[in-house]
Formats: sequence, structure tokens, C-alpha cells
Amino acid sequence: MAHIWPIGGGKGGSGKSFITSSLGRLSAGLGRRTLVIDLDLGAANLHTLVGVPYPSKSFSDFLQKKVGRLDDTVVETPFENLFLISGAQDPFDIANLPYEQKIKTLRAIMKLDYDCILLDLGAGTSFNTIDFFLISQNGIFITTPEPTSIENVYRLIRSVYFRRIRYCFSVSQFKALEEEAIEQFGEGAFNKPERMMKVIERDHPEPYRELLNDFNTFRFRLVINQLHKRDNAALGAHVCRIIEKHMGLGIEFTGNVSYDDHVHDAICQQVSFLDRYPYTKTAGELRAVGRQIFQPACRQLMLQYV
Amino acid sequence: MRKSFAELNYYEMLDIRPGAAAFEIRQAYGAALQIYQPGSLVSHSFFTDAERQEILSLIEKAYQTLIQDQTRKAYDDELVRRGELDAVGETGPAARRPVGIFSISRGRGRQPAGPNQESLKTRIRQSERIRELTGRPALSGADLRQIREELDVTLEEISQATKIRQDHLINIEEDRLARLPAAIFLKGFVKSYLKYLCLEPVEELSARYMETVARLARSERAEEPR
Repeated sequence: MAHIWPIGGGKGGSGKSFITSSLGRLSAGLGRRTLVIDLDLGAANLHTLVGVPYPSKSFSDFLQKKVGRLDDTVVETPFENLFLISGAQDPFDIANLPYEQKIKTLRAIMKLDYDCILLDLGAGTSFNTIDFFLISQNGIFITTPEPTSIENVYRLIRSVYFRRIRYCFSVSQFKALEEEAIEQFGEGAFNKPERMMKVIERDHPEPYRELLNDFNTFRFRLVINQLHKRDNAALGAHVCRIIEKHMGLGIEFTGNVSYDDHVHDAICQQVSFLDRYPYTKTAGELRAVGRQIFQPACRQLMLQYV
Repeated sequence: MRKSFAELNYYEMLDIRPGAAAFEIRQAYGAALQIYQPGSLVSHSFFTDAERQEILSLIEKAYQTLIQDQTRKAYDDELVRRGELDAVGETGPAARRPVGIFSISRGRGRQPAGPNQESLKTRIRQSERIRELTGRPALSGADLRQIREELDVTLEEISQATKIRQDHLINIEEDRLARLPAAIFLKGFVKSYLKYLCLEPVEELSARYMETVARLARSERAEEPR
């Protein structure tokens, strides 16, 4: 089974697609068959970053049943071992993916036969994004060192947390839980998944144990992107510490990637940044992040709910 | 779910091990403030104002408790009672205090003051000669030498311990007035000399010596014009 790495970050413009394409290149460079999937539905542009400006096939062909298998929408890229499912020619209503289509896609992704699959997710915390994120417990969060981006990444993490809790309960049960949490912890408590877990611990020990097991297997990672010279380099470690301490979620700081105008240049020229500017600090940091993420010892369990 | 923040013990709040030294506690406190204080980028939007205040007050309390030895001891005892901490032995070696710059001994195993203060004192008490010399109204360099010889202390020893050049000490003992250092230094030298020999009272004896030297110098000057 392939290793699946969903890459999300809440805020737009934080460099999710860029990091996805770079990680894809690095993974392919290790000799692994790597597939990057553009799941930023309705705002897809990963194809440009991996050197396929006009892909012949796209993800929507699968949804519209033009092709039978998701595998048939894969296009090759100029790079060896790197493949792409693009969202370039998706219809304009693709952003609102119906539930059954989403489940179908999730199942299809899990059946794909590649060594490594990277999912480029969209901004925001819509159910689509979160459900794609929860496909594997190896999710990577990207954020920039700005309050706006930090705020959104916290929001995304909480949403993911919530969504996972939500899977365990029916609508009415969940509603009851929310009311219980508000009663116990006061207004606003339903916004805090960690408070919700307290209520679940008391009232529903069985799903609580299941959830706890699940959260313990999560190995989320955090990458700080676009770190400027004067930013605090310890930010990522602190963010991970606060998440672990106050939300009880395991998250690991993977590294900083410095801000570099050359990234902009490379994207404008539509060439791979890692090839065009391999000796910049940023490229070195990207390689370090890649090494961290693709170290061979990682093992992965799929979540059972799909 | 793990424990909520308020249920953590103070060490867990600050992310330090129970045996942490004072400077580690201070550092951890600084780091915690960086994370939790209002306006911090790390905890931006993570807490409501009320939650943040609560956490900050807990951290403040944790720091104040752990940084003072007494309250920390009491808190550790309480943790041991609650079973959260292993009993004694956990705290490691005693914290090292700052060392005064004059009490650093640079040599290996050398004592900073006279090596045998006690025996010197008893010898001073027993010796008739010393009592007689210190009892006189005048105290010259020659007297000092007699006392020193009576106590069986070498000049080299004094020079090494007091860091006063040996030729100064010789000049003092031989009463070579022309070669003595300026009065202010002379007084200090003599005091160190007396202290090393454990002669008391140092102030009075050194004052008496200075008077004696001054008198000698005056009489020398009176002889000169002739």
C-alpha cells in the first residue's frame, strides 16, 4: 500500500502546492514512484508547478465516469517517477463535491498502486478538505509565521479533530454531546475538541477508547513555510508543544523553510525551483524536510472509517 | 485525553524535569511566557482571554513556587505524598552558588589563608616575647621580623599567600625607609602581613607601626640638613 501524505494548511497562499510539488520531486528523486494529486478542487494549479501546464486528463474525468478507474486519469510529468492527477479541466462546480463522490474518490485513492502519494489540499476547513486530510494519519500542516496563518492552522487542526470525533457518533448523539459540553464548560466549549473529549470520556467510554487509540496513532507534522530572516525560528517547536499540551494530539515539527524570492522567480518561469536554484538556503531546507518526512522507518495504518 | 493544563504539576507546566536547577527553571519560565503571553504569535487565537489569564497565573504560581528553595521543598514533599514524584534523591547535587572573586584558589589544594591559623594563635598566646613586642608603644619593622621568626614563618610563605613582593617585605622588616612604598600601600601591606601571622588587633598594630615609621622618618629628616 502506498504511503499517503495529505498536505493542508488552512490559509491560502501559505505554500501548500509548492511544498507538495517539491516533496513530490524529492520523493521521486529517491527512486520511489510518486503520485501527486491536486485535491484543491476548483482552484487547482499543481500541474503548473510540476511542469505539466496543459494536462490531457484530469480528476473530473473519473468523477464524470469518462474513465473507469482513477488510475486512468494519471498523467506523466517531465520528471522521472513523478506522476500527477491534475484538477486543471475540472468543471466549475467541482468544489462542491457530493458526499458519495467523495467517498468514491477516497476509496479509489487508497487503491492506487504507488510508493508514495501526496495530496495537495485546498485552503479552508470544508468537509472535503478535512475528510481528505483524515485519509491517513500522516498529515502535514503548512503554515507561515503570521498570525493569520497560525490562526487558520489551529482552526484546521481543531476541525480535523472534531471531524474524527464526529465519525463516531450519530447526528443526534453529537448534538447531545455539544449541549453537554456547553453545560459543563460554559459558552464556547463546543468549539474546543479537547473539552468535548472530556465529556465523551465520562459518557461514552467505548468510543472514547477507540478515539484515544486513533489519536495516539496520528503522526501529524508541521512545516513552517516562508520564514523570514527576523522571524522566530523556534516558532514551530512552540506551536507543536502547545498543540500537544492543550489538545493532546501528537504533532511533530519537521522544519522551517525560509522565504526566498527565487521561489517566485521559479514559479513565474515555470521551472522546478529545486532544479533551477538547488544551492539556495531554501532548497537545502526543503531537502531536509523531505529527508525527515520520507525516512524509511515510517509505517502507516489506514483509518477504518472509509 | 491527557490531563488538562490546570491538572498538570508545576514541573509539567514548565516542561522541566523535577531535579531542574534554578537557571533551568528561569529559562523554562521565560519560554513559557513567550508562548502564552498576550500578543504571542504561537498562541494566537488558541485561547480565549480568560483561558490565557488563567494559564498565565498558573505559570506565574509555578515559577514562584519552584524558584524559591523553601516553597519548592514543600511542593516536592506534597508531590511525593501524592505519588507523582519519587522520594528524595531526585533532586541531585546541591546547586552551586556564585563564588566571590577573591575566594577563588588558583593553585591546586593550596589554602587561601595561613595554613595553620589555629597553631599560630596558640603560639602567639604562649609566647612571652611576642606579648612583650606587641605591648610596646612603638612597633618597627625589626619588631615584626622578630615576631615572624618567633612564629617560625618564612618570608617566602607570606609573600606567596599575600601576593606582596618579597623585596617589599624585606624593606619593611629592615626599616629601609627610603625604599618603602607610599604610605597607603605600606599600610595595606603591613595589614596583610599581620593578618597572615594572625596577630591581633590588626588595626591597632598597623596604626602603631605607621606611627613608628613616621617618627623614624621625621628624625632622619631632622638629621639630614646638618
